[in-house]
Amino acid sequence: MGTTIGLQDIIQCIMNGFCMGGTYILVGLGLTLILSIMSILQFAHGEIYMLGAFTVYFLCVMHGVNLYLAVFISMLSTAVIGLILERVLLRPLKGLFLSYVCATTGLSLMLQTGVVLAFSKSTKQLPSLWSGAFNVFGIMLSRERFVAIVIALILTLALYLFLKQTKYGLAMTASAQNREGALMQGINPNVMSAMVVAIGSGLAAVGGALGGSIFNLDPYMGGLAFMKGITLIVIGGLGSLPGAVVGGLILGISESLFSLFFGSQMGVVIPLLLVIAFLIFKQKGLFGHD
Amino acid sequence: MLLEIKDLWVRYKGADVLKGISCGVEEGTIVTFLGSNGAGKSTALRAICGLKAPESGEIWFNGERIDGMLPHHIIKRGIGHVLEGRALFPYMTVLENLKVGAFLQKDREQIERNLQEMFANFPILKERQQQQARTLSGGEQQMLTIARALMGSPKLLLLDEPSLGLSPMMIRQIGKIVKQIHERGVSVLLVEQNARLALGVAQQCYVFETGSIALCGVTKEMLDNDQVRKAYLGL
Repeated sequence: MGTTIGLQDIIQCIMNGFCMGGTYILVGLGLTLILSIMSILQFAHGEIYMLGAFTVYFLCVMHGVNLYLAVFISMLSTAVIGLILERVLLRPLKGLFLSYVCATTGLSLMLQTGVVLAFSKSTKQLPSLWSGAFNVFGIMLSRERFVAIVIALILTLALYLFLKQTKYGLAMTASAQNREGALMQGINPNVMSAMVVAIGSGLAAVGGALGGSIFNLDPYMGGLAFMKGITLIVIGGLGSLPGAVVGGLILGISESLFSLFFGSQMGVVIPLLLVIAFLIFKQKGLFGHD
Repeated sequence: MLLEIKDLWVRYKGADVLKGISCGVEEGTIVTFLGSNGAGKSTALRAICGLKAPESGEIWFNGERIDGMLPHHIIKRGIGHVLEGRALFPYMTVLENLKVGAFLQKDREQIERNLQEMFANFPILKERQQQQARTLSGGEQQMLTIARALMGSPKLLLLDEPSLGLSPMMIRQIGKIVKQIHERGVSVLLVEQNARLALGVAQQCYVFETGSIALCGVTKEMLDNDQVRKAYLGL
């Protein structure tokens, strides 16, 4: 390697870890909530993330809409797509587990192909959230990564408040922890499903937009995002919001640090090792519910 | 008749668990379903709530036919169900569990009134309101699950084996609570293996035996009959 790693590198690396962790959390929150409330693994969730990024590309790069506005619109429009997805594809298949797997896998392929047809396979770029860097005590910190962290933080906090303070949020939390118990309080399971897929999709869309802005976007970016989401669930535990947050941060920061010290290949291997370790030693994850 | 079941058949995986039972709950009474494990008592409650669709037969509540309805619609009509095994939300606090119990209640002040009433009747829940439900003892969890069902101001409360796993002292406490609930105008359908508890509170009694009703009648008469007492009630 030959180059010495300085303090700036490490601090930037940790910040990068928080930033990547933030995008993973935005993907993983939806995935874990959908899994715990509906007992289905939404195999097209990565493509929802990708769709969110491409919606921003369409609005911002192709039609000149302000980037932040485009991200906001993408969050809402992708949430609506989630609602349609739940109503049209997921609800009719209620209880048929294998059908869910086929349907969502099929949907993911369809979305990928659809985006390729509409936008071509080439890798694209979104404008930066905030170009340049802060100078903090002599250390240069990327502004756009800082913004991404703030956005992920705000959305996670908003979700937390929703789940803890609102009637429907409490109902969703309850549905994730005991489905029959929730039914016996008069909670409509279809409304719960619709809400969780909509919210999860909206969050994933923002994750995609952030990823597309800081790095780049292509029609196949969803696969990796989905993998990160699954890893996050294994580490953090199913159905737990704090678990998703901690899992995402552990994933992001460990990837970043290992990449820095041992090269980028290690950065890819780390999540896989973490998954194996947790599955062996702590199957419920750090905060997992049953 | 607040609740009426007519010729109900329920099947699980090809086996008939309920074989054409007919029974009911008069408004303002406590009725108990007695019987040993597997006799079909809990299945009857699950059928009433829509958790299990019957093969045939009718279930009427408050003059409306409810068999075939979705569970959350049935609950909306004024039934509360304290499930077997309690079905609490384990990682939610006592207070949050109670709030979810009031999900259908639109009036915020009514919810607050119900909450204060629950805290007055179950002081241990007030004390532990910020604790996660899974950290409570068995008896406390049972009280929480009953209080949660009462938050919905039901007309009929279905209680599935509340005495399970509880100490004799707690069981006596449950008996007192059931009587208090009844005094407040809520009709109660109590499923129990513990005949002593059930007959101490119920006015009407149905004895279940392998999916059929072997015996039914007014509690006092059944207790007065030696044969019935020994053969069916084990007392």
